Amino acid sequence: MPAGDAFTHDQLLDIERAVRHAEAASGLHFSVYVGGADSETRPFAVELLNELPDPDRSVLVYVDPAGRRLEIVTGATAKRQLSDHSAGLAALAMQTSFAAGDLTGGLVTGVQQLGDHAHQAPLLHANEPHQQ
Amino acid sequence: MISLLSGHTLLVFVGIPALVIAVVTLLVFASSIARGPRYRPGLSWWAPPVWINGPATTKPDPANLPELPAGSTPTATAARGVARSTGGASASW
Repeated sequence: MPAGDAFTHDQLLDIERAVRHAEAASGLHFSVYVGGADSETRPFAVELLNELPDPDRSVLVYVDPAGRRLEIVTGATAKRQLSDHSAGLAALAMQTSFAAGDLTGGLVTGVQQLGDHAHQAPLLHANEPHQQ
Repeated sequence: MISLLSGHTLLVFVGIPALVIAVVTLLVFASSIARGPRYRPGLSWWAPPVWINGPATTKPDPANLPELPAGSTPTATAARGVARSTGGASASW
């Protein structure tokens, strides 16, 4: 394998756009980590989540391309908005793309799907009444 | 005359086909060259870790991360900046 970065500039922009879209839709913090883990992937992914500024309201997508492992970790508050079942569906979509060698496509699709599943409809009855 | 003819013959029957083959090869591989190296499942990963929308701009080194206490997989203490409990999903390919 040749040495170099995991993603091109355009690919990074695509993933960042998907992350921003998911954050805007859900109000949660989304983060994507692509790299290897020295230990088991799940504890490592949880450690990464705890590195984030507000782990309880964060969703971390961890991809280990060498170990071919994917972890989606949701914080305590985030998991109320994004159920494990929804995370599993997004993981399935990502898994299919990763198996075909499409890391960027899988991440973009998966993060978008996570954002859509975590989307919270505005509570109209709780909004301020319109001024007449 | 014979040498001139053979030179011309070489150009027509070797030079032009070689040129055509080179152009077609370039066209076939142009898109993959422009895209850069591609991830191939099962082969070794070559790139350094990337953390998109992570904390500040730092990229953690797996060797420097604090170790989890034994037996505390998904749940952790409710200290500042530490997730109380986690959910999510896992997959492999």
